[in-house]
This record gives sequence, structure tokens and C-alpha cells, in this order.
Amino acid sequence: MTFGRKALLTDRRHFPACLALLVLVLLCPIPSHAYAGPGAGFAVLSSFWALFVAFLYSLYAFVVWPFRQLFRLMRHRNVYANAKIKRAVILGFDGMDPELTERFIAEGRLPNLAKLRGQGTFRKLSTTYPAISPVAWSTFTTGVNPGKHNIYDFLARDLSNYLPHLSSAEIKGPNHSWKIGKYKIPLRGPRIKGMRRGIPFWHWLGEAGIFCSVLRVPVTFPPEKFSGVLLSGMCVPDLKGSQGTFCFCTTRASSDKFREGGVRVPVERTESSYVSYIPGPENPLSGDSGNELRVKFEIRPESGKNQARFTVHSETFTLKIGEYSAWIPLKFKAGIGLNAHGIARFYLKEISPEVEVYVTPVNIDPGKPDLPISHPVTYSIYLEKMFGPYATLGLAEDTWALNEKVLDDEAFLAQCYANHEDRERMLFDALEKTRHGLCACVFDTTDRVQHMFWRYLDEDHPAAREIPRAQRPTVIQDLYARMDELIGRVMKQIDEQTLLMIVSDHGFKSFARCVNLNAWLHQAGYLVLKQGKTESGDWFDDVEWSRTRAYTMGLNGLYLNLKGREGKGIVEQGVEGESLKEELRRKLNGLVDPESGRVGITGVFDCEEVYAGPYVENAPDLIVGYGEGYRASWDSVMGKVTSQIFEDNLKAWSGDHCVDPRLVPGVLFSNQRIVDEKPAIVDVAPTVLKLFGLALPGYLDGKPWTVDISASRSIELSTAL
Amino acid sequence: MGSLGINIPSGIVVVISLIIGLAMVLVFGYTSDQKAIHIAKDRLKAHLLALRLFQDQIRVVLLAYVRIVLATGRYFRLAFKPLLFVIVPITFLIVEVDRYLGSVPLSTGETFLIKARIDNPDLLNQASLQLPDGLASTAPPVHEPAENTISWRLIAERTGEYAVNVQVADQVFSKRVVVGSGVQRLSPVRVRGKCWERFLVSAEPALPANQSVEVIDVQYPSREIAFAGMEWNWIWLFFVLSMTAGFLFKSILGIEI
Repeated sequence: MTFGRKALLTDRRHFPACLALLVLVLLCPIPSHAYAGPGAGFAVLSSFWALFVAFLYSLYAFVVWPFRQLFRLMRHRNVYANAKIKRAVILGFDGMDPELTERFIAEGRLPNLAKLRGQGTFRKLSTTYPAISPVAWSTFTTGVNPGKHNIYDFLARDLSNYLPHLSSAEIKGPNHSWKIGKYKIPLRGPRIKGMRRGIPFWHWLGEAGIFCSVLRVPVTFPPEKFSGVLLSGMCVPDLKGSQGTFCFCTTRASSDKFREGGVRVPVERTESSYVSYIPGPENPLSGDSGNELRVKFEIRPESGKNQARFTVHSETFTLKIGEYSAWIPLKFKAGIGLNAHGIARFYLKEISPEVEVYVTPVNIDPGKPDLPISHPVTYSIYLEKMFGPYATLGLAEDTWALNEKVLDDEAFLAQCYANHEDRERMLFDALEKTRHGLCACVFDTTDRVQHMFWRYLDEDHPAAREIPRAQRPTVIQDLYARMDELIGRVMKQIDEQTLLMIVSDHGFKSFARCVNLNAWLHQAGYLVLKQGKTESGDWFDDVEWSRTRAYTMGLNGLYLNLKGREGKGIVEQGVEGESLKEELRRKLNGLVDPESGRVGITGVFDCEEVYAGPYVENAPDLIVGYGEGYRASWDSVMGKVTSQIFEDNLKAWSGDHCVDPRLVPGVLFSNQRIVDEKPAIVDVAPTVLKLFGLALPGYLDGKPWTVDISASRSIELSTAL
Repeated sequence: MGSLGINIPSGIVVVISLIIGLAMVLVFGYTSDQKAIHIAKDRLKAHLLALRLFQDQIRVVLLAYVRIVLATGRYFRLAFKPLLFVIVPITFLIVEVDRYLGSVPLSTGETFLIKARIDNPDLLNQASLQLPDGLASTAPPVHEPAENTISWRLIAERTGEYAVNVQVADQVFSKRVVVGSGVQRLSPVRVRGKCWERFLVSAEPALPANQSVEVIDVQYPSREIAFAGMEWNWIWLFFVLSMTAGFLFKSILGIEI
């Protein structure tokens, strides 16, 4: 990409001559100094201002530092006295699969993981029910089962109307606003409430005076206060408040709407260029909903060069076809002094005969965060200043755009790895800053790439049947090799007093066949549609709730329509409900796909048996465990009843883990020997706390592993500081 | 005040400051590596933030100090590069403006000194002053042999532009003296040779080379400009206003400084 506002005179050859001229002017008799002062001052003042601030703060920090250290010493006298390690480095690779890992190790693709397996530990890591990232990572974070942390899926339901909402956070408009005519002036910021319960284990470390750097662990939005730094991960919304809405700007007329995850925006032709816009958040000043803010941009195709020149605000850049822009700052202006700040990347798809541009979801600008995405707030700003703008959206890799064929494989991968490289930079910075304490970083690339490219790994995936095996790209093999190379670089940064853990929240399986559980419930008479209807719309449109006993939404949850709980519930709680659950379990367990003859559901789990805690009442009644190759259908997830129960999955999203959790354990690698044979993700938190010598809170469900630290050492307090 | 009641000198300074502020921002924008400056400033801010974020970790804090110094050095280097392109024209401009706004002409009835420096101290006794009508001497000349100078105290009797002649032996050297009001181009000094010095301080032709007088100096009063309830030397006012204008224009034009 080339930027329009380029320096005209940056030739280093002129520098000595110019310097000599400057020196000559400055060395002239005394009066000239006074004259040169204001001219030079313009640049000098800026420089001095920066230095001045740095100096003042440095002075302050320097003066205050001994007192802070004294305070810390008094407060955390023996912080590392009982610790067996001085540092824990946890690398989370979302969805790294143990079977694939073993296979690739055997093929010699993963030398660093092979080394870890040989010298330390490799185990399968039991996951949660269900095996879904927000659930499993919440358990990782808190060391408790979902019944205590309240996260059961990406989505939760509104009991009054059966509509979905995000399970991890609630974002609402400001409490107080001032209404003037048709305008509504917000007097406070939006209200954000985290829905995950439980206490992250880094909170206890911080309390004990152990510093923590936590990067992109899922379900950490909104960020909670603790002694350390944290950048929120999965579940951070985009600027629109959604979990990622891309924008496809095109001159092609189409009335088709994307099922989810994107909007189509027209590109208008003007005399010499094209103009389009990026939809943003709703105008907070507008009393009416649906009044979205927009940022306009201009495209000037240069057909001869297969490129186009873009102008967004005052920024101008050129993209070739098939090229991404850098992150471009977007300012959505609501009124004087009231702006929403976002960043997005542009991808030029086509300039002739039509013009098509893909724009990523508008991420919250990490340098000017309108919502808190880090703790402290300045941490996201620090990272932005250090490394430039980066993706802040929880699900930053735009899987919907590839699913909808707006992006091709190559463009999607480029986006994934660009985000991954940013994350790597942040990790190594955190490693440098956290010589003692906890450094935890989760990489999402493993999950997204496996979701979208499993079709090339699977022998007979319906989404890639037409591609001969020899011609299939080795995307997943390359992905694992790349992660292994990263692990190798991290291994070079750690010493023997550091515990290195590589964990994944779940494994992966093929997703070749879809199961519409709502369709099954409908055909079996548990879910009833309004008279004359054979299918429903999304989110149970046309469902006759007064005659419906069970329904499903989201990826694995099945709900009874309980009286007194659901808005229009009819099933009595107690005996009737229990017997209905038992009946559904019996009928669904072992459900066979008539077309393939394979078992589509291998286990149905009663939540009262798999969960325990104060939030079990918010859980689904049953967790459905799909068999290998199967998953809830796209329609079923969105509360839609179709006529077919089983169907092929033809989408690029071809691998999944929302199956029977027993089929998709995660991985656990460590540089230390872990004695336990059956570790679980719930055990990570207590294990780390124990290794740092802290007492375990009584509410934890996980059990600390027995870790055979290679050489028993006591960490000296002086070095630990 | 001018005929319209406007403080003309301050008006001139405001206009010049705005123009120079804008011009400097534009020149800075086009001659600097904007991307590199942006990155350098961001890095500097990042290291400052690191001091705060990791304040309990002495190693990180010390490393941040070092990086702040290095980042500042880099920023300096990048910021001075465009300065090289503006400092010469700006110096020329400021020198010229100073001739109009640095001093005020002598007022009628005001006494002032005229001083000549002579390279041969033996000739001091042979120096005399030839005054035109409108200027008069109020005291005998004062010799300062240690500095090779001779001074005359004069009084301005009438407004006008005069040529005062300093005679040393058979050589005559002229110096322009202005008595009046308002904004006029003044030259406090007439010097011999020294191209740079002449350019910076004098608006008159050089004194003849290889002759006895080196410098003739007229002491005009400094101009104080009323602005914002304060009395300013024009150069300070220019400094403040051009800075303000520059920072304003940089925001409007989106230029990184």
C-alpha cells in the first residue's frame, strides 16, 4: 500500500548539507539566535514538550518508586516464599486438537512440541460441557464449572420472549440522557455489565503481589480490575455493538441479505469516481433507533494498474486488487465533540466491470477506546502506540465473510495471520515485561483456521468433494507448524524457573452434516408450529408456544418450555419436567442419520448432573453431544424449524467442536512433568495458584496437578522483585 | 494606533504569524517523513505509558527510561530535518520584519546616542560629526579608547529622515537617522564588511572597506507592542502567535508535528 501524503524530501544524501546550513545559521552572531528561536521553536517546542513530560513523569516515578516498593514489601512480604516457580507462561491455542497434534508430531512437522512432549508433558485436556470456547475459557479463567461462572454458550435466551442475547456481556444505552426535541443527549457512557461470574485466578495472584499480563483470554470483556494488565478477547463487540458485522460495498445490484455477520452497501458511481459508506453505530443523539452513523469513502479505480485509490476522511491510500489496507481510523460523527472511534481494513476485490470492496467489521479503536477493552484502560492505548492499530473485536477473524464467499480462502488467511502477527508482538512484549508472575495469551487463529479449512483435511467433506485430494492446500498442517515455530521462539525466552503451559480449550472434528434439532423436536411433536406452517422463521417465528414442550437455540443447549420460567411455558416443573428430560435423552441419544447410517448424537447430558453452582438455573436443561462429523445446523442454532433434520454442511465453516465433549479434549503441553493422567481445563487455575504458593480458594472445582518441577528451587524474594 | 484605531504593529504581527504558522505546517508536512514522525511519537508515548503500567518492575521502568531517551532522540532527528528547510527563509523574513517592528523611530525632542567604532585608536581625536538641520548635539563627544569608540549625544528637533556624517580625518561616513512615528524601516547599525552580520543587523550599504570606521550605531528605542493587555517585544508575540497558529493548522490539516 502506498500513502498519498508522502514526504517529498527524505533523501538522506541532502542531510549533511542541510545540517551544515543549520549549524551555520545557528553559529551566526548573537542577534540571529533570537531570530532563529521562533522558527526553530516550532519543532523544538514539540520535542521539548515530549521530553519535558517524560522527564517530569520519570522524576515522579523515580521519587515514588522506593516508597511503592517499601509498601509492596510490607504488604506482600513473602510473595514468592512458597512459590515453586517465578513465572508461569500460558499459551492458549484455541481449538488445538490433540489427535492432529500427535499426527503432525509423528510426521515431523512440530519439532518444538515434540521436544516439550519428550522433556515435559503432553496430555489430552478434558474440556467443559459443552466444548465451546466461551464456556471452556471461562472455566480456565475461574477454575470452576459453568454452574458457577454462568457461561453456557455464546448465546443466552431471554426467558420472556425466547430471543437470544450475548451470554457474556450486556451493553445498554446510558442511564441518563437529556432530551431536546428530537435529540437525546447522553449524560453518561453506555452501561456495560459482564455476565460471567466467578473470580479469575489472576485476581488472586494480583492480590498476593504477583504481576500478571493477560492477553486476549476469551470472555474478559468488560475487563475487571486486578493487579496487572489485561487486553480483553473473545466477546469484545465491534463499534456497532455486534460480534462482527462486515461491510460489502458493491456496484452489483442485489436484494440478497447476508444471513448474519455482514451488510451489503451500494457503491454509487459519480462523474469521476465511486462513493460508498461504512455503516457505524446508531446515533446516540437521535431519539429514534435505526439512525445509524456512517463514514463515507471514495474509490477511484485505476484500471490500467489494477488498483484503486481510496479516500476516507483525509486519509488517502492505494490498494491493488486482492490487497488489504492497513487499519484505517474511522470517525463516526454524531455531533459537535461527540464521535465514535473505530478502525477497519479495506480489501479491494474488483474494479472492473464492477467495483467491489470488503470492509472488516469496524473494530473499537484501541488508541481511543470508546468502550473499555483493557485493564487499565491505558493498556490498549499502550499496545496501540507500541505496535500500531490492531484488531480488538472478539472474533476478529471474519469467518462470516468467508462463509458468505465475500472473501476467498487466501484473503481470509491473510486477515487471520495479520491478526496473529499482532498478537505475537504483544505476547513477546508481555514476556519482556513479565519476568516474574503470570503471562497468559490466547491465540484464536488455530480455532478460526480449523473451522474454515477442515474441509481440505477431511477425506470426504461435502464442501470440498470436488477438489481432488492432491490439489488441496495444507492450510491446517501449515497452521500447526506455524504455531510450533512460535512455541519454539517462546521456549527460547524462558528459563528453568518458568512453567510453560500450552493449552487448548477443546479439540476439533469435521462438521460435515448438520442436525436441525428443532426440526426433530417438531417432527417428534415436542415443538409445534402455528397452523398451516411446516417451517418457522428465525428465532422461533411461527412457533406455537402454548403447545411447545421443548426447543433449542445456540449450539448445544436444549430447553424445556417450563411453566413459571419461560414466558409462555407449559411444562410443569418437577415430575413432568424431569420425565420429559428423560424421554428426550432416551430418544435423542444415539439418533441415527438415515442417509449415512451414522450416529448423529452420541450423548445427551442432564445439566443438573454435569453442573453444580448458583447459576445452574440459567443453564439449558440438556446438553446435546453430537457425534463426530455432526453439529447443530445453521438454522437450528438460530431457532429455526426446517423440514429436514439432517443435511450436508456446504459452507466453508467445515470443522467444529460443538460436539460430544468427550470427543474433543484439548491439549496440554508443559516444559515441566505433570504427573496426573487425566488433567482437565478446570484444573489450570488451581495448579497455577498452587505453584505460586498461594492457598486455594475453597470454591474451586479444579484440582491442582502434581507438577514435578525439574529442580526444586526456592525463589528468592529479591530476585522475584 | 492607525487611522482606523487599529494597533498596526500588532495587526502586522498577527497576520505574519498566521501566514508563517500555516506555511511552516505545510512545509513541515511536505518535507518530513510523516509516517516516521507518527511512529516515533507513538513509541515515545508508549514508553511513557509503560512507566505507569509497569511501575513496580524496576527493570521495565529503567528500560523504559532508556527507550524514552532513544525515542526522543529519534523524534528530534525527524523533527529537525524539515526545520532545515524552513530555517533559512524564516530567518530572512524575521530579519526583515525586525527592521520594521524591532524599534521605533526617534521622536522629536528625544535625545539619543550615535556611536562610531574606529579601527585606529589614534584617529579618535580626529573624529567629528556633521549634523543636518533637525538634529542637534546636546553634549561634547565622549571617547572610549578601550573600545575604540566615540559617542555623541544628540536631540531630534524635527521629524524627517536624515543623513548624519561622521568625519575621521579626511574620510566621511554617512549614517541614516529617522525621526518620526509609526512603522518605518529602520537600520540601527551601519557596518563594514561581515556579510552575515550586515545581513542580520543592518539595512544600509556596507561602510567602505580599508577605511577607518568599522561601525556606526544609532540607538533607537525598542518597540513594545500592546496585545492582549500586555506589552510584547514583537518577536515574542510572533513566537507565541505563530506557535498557536501552527498547532491550530496542524490539527486542521492533519499534519503530524
